[in-house]
Amino acid sequence: MKLQSKSVVLALALAVLASLLSPSAAAAKKLKVITTLTDLASLTQEVGGDKIEVEALAKGYQDPHFVEPKPSFLLKLRNADLLICVGLELEIGWLPPLITQSGNPRIQPGGVGYLDASQFAEILEIPQGKVTRAEGDVHPQGNPHYWLDPENGRRIAKGIAAKLGEMDPPDAAYFQQRYQDFEKRLAEADKKWLAAMAPYRGRKIVTYHRSLPNFAKHFGLDVVGYIEPRPGIPPSPSHTIELVGMMKRDGVKIQLIEPYFDLKTPNSVASMTNGRVVVVLPSVGGKPEVTDYFKLFDYNVGILTQAFQETK
Amino acid sequence: MEILPFLILPFIASLILTGIHAYLGVHVVERGVIFVDLALAQIAALGAAMAILVGMDPHGNSAYFMSLGFTFIGALIFSFVRSRHKRIPLEAFIGICYAVASAAAIIVMSKATGETEHLKDMLVGNILAVSKPDVIKTALLYGGISLFHFIFRKKFLAISLEHDTAESTGINVRLWDFLFYASFGFVVTWSVSIAGVLLVFCYLIVPSVGAMLFADRIGTRLAIGWTMGTLVSALGCWFSVQFDTPTGATIVCTFGAVLVLMALAKAVFFRVKSEKPQQAVQAVSKAG
Repeated sequence: MKLQSKSVVLALALAVLASLLSPSAAAAKKLKVITTLTDLASLTQEVGGDKIEVEALAKGYQDPHFVEPKPSFLLKLRNADLLICVGLELEIGWLPPLITQSGNPRIQPGGVGYLDASQFAEILEIPQGKVTRAEGDVHPQGNPHYWLDPENGRRIAKGIAAKLGEMDPPDAAYFQQRYQDFEKRLAEADKKWLAAMAPYRGRKIVTYHRSLPNFAKHFGLDVVGYIEPRPGIPPSPSHTIELVGMMKRDGVKIQLIEPYFDLKTPNSVASMTNGRVVVVLPSVGGKPEVTDYFKLFDYNVGILTQAFQETK
Repeated sequence: MEILPFLILPFIASLILTGIHAYLGVHVVERGVIFVDLALAQIAALGAAMAILVGMDPHGNSAYFMSLGFTFIGALIFSFVRSRHKRIPLEAFIGICYAVASAAAIIVMSKATGETEHLKDMLVGNILAVSKPDVIKTALLYGGISLFHFIFRKKFLAISLEHDTAESTGINVRLWDFLFYASFGFVVTWSVSIAGVLLVFCYLIVPSVGAMLFADRIGTRLAIGWTMGTLVSALGCWFSVQFDTPTGATIVCTFGAVLVLMALAKAVFFRVKSEKPQQAVQAVSKAG
């Protein structure tokens, strides 16, 4: 008995020593990154390359406010070296208890393996003064739907690259180099997207939820109204009538809506205003062909320009 | 299985739920007030919505007492209605309360605030994410209520099983009805906040119905109900891991499947016994 436990201790000590001494063994172990949304996973993959393994918890077609937790989420969180989330209370309805229950000390808020991506991004609609509950489901720290702006995508990727380098110093240069490459490709793609959207700068649009301010800002679209009377509240008749009146007066034709919202009200508004409902994808994976951050903008810019052309 | 440690807390929580709900379920089925838990949960949600309307923190104590207060009002309504109007089934009032409370909560939320996420959170707690303090708190609370019901079991059983006779023996039926609905509402409100509406409904009704397939005596029914609840909880947790599906919904479907199996088993193995009541029914219909 005694001999056995001694030899176990010895074996463990040797194993620890070996892992400390041989950098190849340490390097072979990939960082396990879990993100809440697919967009963050795509950005992490861009800068992390083959030195990391990354997986998103939510699917791209799910409403990120409401994600039904599954047992595998806990397993993934338990084994994660790094958890990257959107923050700004977007995931408040489902993520915090899962983090607690995972029992993984690294990824607890404030821990080394917890990264809130909102710190890198430009955040819009940060409420001024005191936030009252009466204004609806306003996120007190600003609008959490910030990733649909390529500029923010770049900033987040930069932040993630730095964090990965911190956690895996031997590969820091590799992450930086991948980030540089990503930045270049993103800048080129963005030029193309901006060019495609250029004819429609200043166009007025309506969105369903308050979820596209960063996208609208980047492409110079003017969001003049929302289908929801207040964030998170289903459309009411008087608000809808008001909205239709405003859209007719100002010649607003385009409504942008995410795939997980109900199309009934937008469709009837569209028929009353002779306009169009455009289902934009909020996240990578919203459609099977949208497999990364670049294709997400390719898709959204594509359907938007088409809709603008058709509603001249 | 690396995942098993995560399922220990949900499993313990579901055992606690089985313990108290299978017992309360016997009362609920006997009284024929199947949907009373849904109605009380909805009334509690209306209370939470009102709390948010007046600016309370939705996760704070005052909001909790607000929704508990609403639950007690609901309990009061149910105990009064039952005593007054014998011709109108109580289930009708329960349905009305459910619909009105749901609609009122929607109106309150749309008027005052947009914290619909919190309201939805409250309605659909998630058993997978139940925490250790929650489990301990639940065990203590339900232990207390079970003790209360155990001490006064004769009165509670009397008003549930034979309401009219109980009234004539001098029991203050209205008071005990209220105590029943109040303690029941207390349990349901808390259970729903940790496990969600659907799961709580199943723990309440299915073990009781499953047991009634095989037994008439209260004690036997409780034993069958508890066994069934425990087995289904374990099976449901296991399926949830096996197929990686949401835990609460998986337990609910497992309940359904097991109930079907029990009904089939009864049809196959207990045919002789079940013929007797049928003959009796036929005899009655012939006589009529």
